[in-house]
Amino acid sequence: MTEITTQNELMQPRGYWSDAIRRLRKRKLAMLCFWIVAIYAGLAAFIWVGDILVTHFGWKIPLVQWNEHVGPSYQKPAAHYEFVPEMKTESQKGWCLLGTDFMGQSTFRKTLYGAKTAMMVAFCASIISILIGVPLGALAGYYRGWVDDAIVWFYTTLGTIPYILLLMAFAVVLRGAHIGPWELRGSVSVYLAIGLTSWVGLCRLIRGEIIKRKESEYVLAARAMGCSDFRILFFHLLPNVFHIILINFSLRFVSFIHAEVILSFLGLGETDKPSWGAMIDAARTELARDVWWEMAAATVAIFIISLALNIFSDALRDCLDPKLRMD
Amino acid sequence: MTAFIIRRLLYMFPIVVGVLLVTFTLFTLIGGDISQQIAGKNADAETIAEIRHEYGLDKPLFWSWDSQFVNHFKKALFFDFGRAMDRERISAKILRGIVPSLMLTVPMFIGEIIAAVSLALIIAYVRGTIWDVSAVVICVAGMSIPYLSFIIFGQYFFAYKLDWFPIIYLPEEPMIKSVGLPILIGILASLGGELRFYRTIMLDEMRNDYVRTAFAKGLSTTRVLFKHVLKNAMIPIITNVVLTIPHLILGSFLLERFFGIPGLGYLMIEAIGARDFFVINAMTFIFSLLIVIFTLLADICYAFVDPRISLK
Amino acid sequence: MSEHEILLSVQNLSTHFFTQQGVAKAVQDVSFDIPAGHMTALVGESGCGKSVTSLSILRLIPDPPGKIIGGKIIFKGQNLLEMSEGRMRAIRGNDIAMIFQEPMTSLNPVFTIGNQIVEVISLHQGIKGKAAWDMAVDMLTKVGIADPARRVQEYPHQLSGGMRQRAMIAMALSCSPSLLIADEPTTALDVTIQAQILELLKKLQNENRMSILLITHDLGVVAETAQTVVVMYASRVVEKADVHSLFASPRHPYTQGLLRSLPRLGQRRKRLDVIGGSVPNPVAFPGGCKFHPRCPIGAKDPHCQACEPPLQEIQPGHAVACWYAQGYRR
Repeated sequence: MTEITTQNELMQPRGYWSDAIRRLRKRKLAMLCFWIVAIYAGLAAFIWVGDILVTHFGWKIPLVQWNEHVGPSYQKPAAHYEFVPEMKTESQKGWCLLGTDFMGQSTFRKTLYGAKTAMMVAFCASIISILIGVPLGALAGYYRGWVDDAIVWFYTTLGTIPYILLLMAFAVVLRGAHIGPWELRGSVSVYLAIGLTSWVGLCRLIRGEIIKRKESEYVLAARAMGCSDFRILFFHLLPNVFHIILINFSLRFVSFIHAEVILSFLGLGETDKPSWGAMIDAARTELARDVWWEMAAATVAIFIISLALNIFSDALRDCLDPKLRMD
Repeated sequence: MTAFIIRRLLYMFPIVVGVLLVTFTLFTLIGGDISQQIAGKNADAETIAEIRHEYGLDKPLFWSWDSQFVNHFKKALFFDFGRAMDRERISAKILRGIVPSLMLTVPMFIGEIIAAVSLALIIAYVRGTIWDVSAVVICVAGMSIPYLSFIIFGQYFFAYKLDWFPIIYLPEEPMIKSVGLPILIGILASLGGELRFYRTIMLDEMRNDYVRTAFAKGLSTTRVLFKHVLKNAMIPIITNVVLTIPHLILGSFLLERFFGIPGLGYLMIEAIGARDFFVINAMTFIFSLLIVIFTLLADICYAFVDPRISLK
Repeated sequence: MSEHEILLSVQNLSTHFFTQQGVAKAVQDVSFDIPAGHMTALVGESGCGKSVTSLSILRLIPDPPGKIIGGKIIFKGQNLLEMSEGRMRAIRGNDIAMIFQEPMTSLNPVFTIGNQIVEVISLHQGIKGKAAWDMAVDMLTKVGIADPARRVQEYPHQLSGGMRQRAMIAMALSCSPSLLIADEPTTALDVTIQAQILELLKKLQNENRMSILLITHDLGVVAETAQTVVVMYASRVVEKADVHSLFASPRHPYTQGLLRSLPRLGQRRKRLDVIGGSVPNPVAFPGGCKFHPRCPIGAKDPHCQACEPPLQEIQPGHAVACWYAQGYRR
């Protein structure tokens, strides 16, 4: 608990990021959570690649093939079971971890696929959100004047509409909508819906930070050297607010996962691929028949990633926020 | 003070116009021509054209006095929302839905505040101890469980298995039984996040110097918390609370859907399912208006509670 | 209480802070006495432990991470460190009061000055209502605030810095404590206001026969107001004396360095004298005498590097913690 730090170690100059990483490393719980998140991300990537390979190239990767009939309808989780698949006469044996759903598909595989859905949605929505929120916030904060007024008006307007309403409205409208010649698939409409409605908070934050830092000495120095506004914004100011963007990203990630779950539950997401929200939706009627494993699997999967992300984001914020640093 | 209010009211206008612009863009421009949808699947071209004319969808979008946008704007100003796809007047639908929604959300709101604030004070009392740490862990865990799971599990366990409450909303039953379960679930589900938020506020306040002075005067911890810290903490808490009020009226749509409570949230979900743009449009406008009004109220409250702020 | 009777005696006080970086031994084996009716100054640089010492007297150390791990504090015949929390609360604000450095943040911004003064009066003296408010107005007059009847209804942000500090003093003295602990009361104020506040403190001390423990890093203030001086460095007391002896013949190299670095009127100097080096980190103090790395005499002395000098009286009323001052020669 109490380490003896030598005088030398205390006096070494430390860069901001290496310092933050060092402090983060010391917190065992946070590092554990980081690895949990990394596992989820890794699984999602694996399934994403696997999915493409299976559907477009005809590979056979059992874990990714979620729509394979592995057992009878509503099979409980069991170590051994036998069943006779359609159109076959002999029985097939196997073990299933989490049981099967109505169509005999493996809950376990569906849960894994759901991870991919959730992570993809959260990631793409985050990117969209950052790509809109950060530049707008930076421009508003830097130029002030009418640019600021216009952008503030815009995000106040969007922010006035209740988030869930806006989200659902976007999701409904974007499904089947056409951008030019292309029709939007369910999943893309979800990314857009969440991304387009969630950038307001980040925008406000960045704008506030840019305003605070606009008059700092290093900006003055850069201007005196003849840097263009663009250079100052992108190479001097934004790198200094990067940690805020990072913290915001990890905090928002959880809420995006939950938003995706709600959207899928309402049938506004991608309906032909498994997702945790759809699994929970199915559970509504299933529970009455004592079929608990689909909902349990989805809930536990969501719970673990949310918990890990929450703890990690907190630790990240503590380590990166200069004001909270107590050592 | 009056100058402040007037200025803020004036600022409301561009926002309201903005909201109308957003809803218009969303539902008319991107949503596309819905006359086909209204007419139904087997309508012929003539019926569709008739419907287009009836709903004014054949008018130009923006650039005329009689354009769709201007009409959209005018109708909103006079709260004339027209009819939903099922031909019922939207205003009637809304008025019908308000009471059930409020019946659910008002008790939930009051319960949440009392529970979260008192628990936050207690946790601030025992800060740093094992109780504090466990409380934080429970809160974070609660925040990580999806809202849906809370509802489904609650419904399954308390209504289906234990049979303490009816599974769905039955208007004949006394209120405590009919909406008791959704209220309970709603409070428990949001308690995690709220408690964590209030706890942070309390702890931030406790770090201030005046707390040290208060202890140096010989005040007990209870006194310091309930008098000094609470009054300061109320400032962010009240603003937060006032801003939540408009959301009360929207109703908790998930709870309403699961328990079959015919409130505004349920109305909203139905509209979304049926892609009834008129209803969605109307409700979005009303709620945005409410939020704008309550944001103003929150600012005024803030000035009342904090003697350092004077409204200019 | 007669003159020269000891009001508060701090004996071998040790307060440590247990942090993730290690144990910060903020106060180690500190002993000094506060005579009745005297102004005792506790002097030292930032981080030497003087504030922690004063907070330890009133047992206001935040736990976690801090803990008073040893010693005794005898006040009116009783050990404060062994008292129950309830009895301690009865002493705080009543027998021993404290004022702090930043009056703006140390006063509660959402209550009026009057409310905060009345609170103390009601708590310890049981007087409520109008009588209490009258007493509050009375106190404000005593501390020199003009138009007290109006000021008593105002909020802290409506007063100037000097007035806020006066209001804090009024609050602290409203129950006529025997000891006032003043933690850097003038550091945050302008020089002219500083002088006024110090005058006020001296006046009140005389009027109320009160002792004051003045914590400061400003030697000028010490020379002007204190009668006894306790010098601290890196969690320990390095020198204790009455003010005249200290300024006339400081015996500890640290004190000497401090006094030498004070610019004097009429002195023709190009550069100020400084004490080389910097204050050590409380988590990792140097071994032996804590001051030895910066000491002009003891830096190379193996005895100073290895052994911590005890605080010893070398003349009546003048104690030093330095081997060389105690007569050691290499």
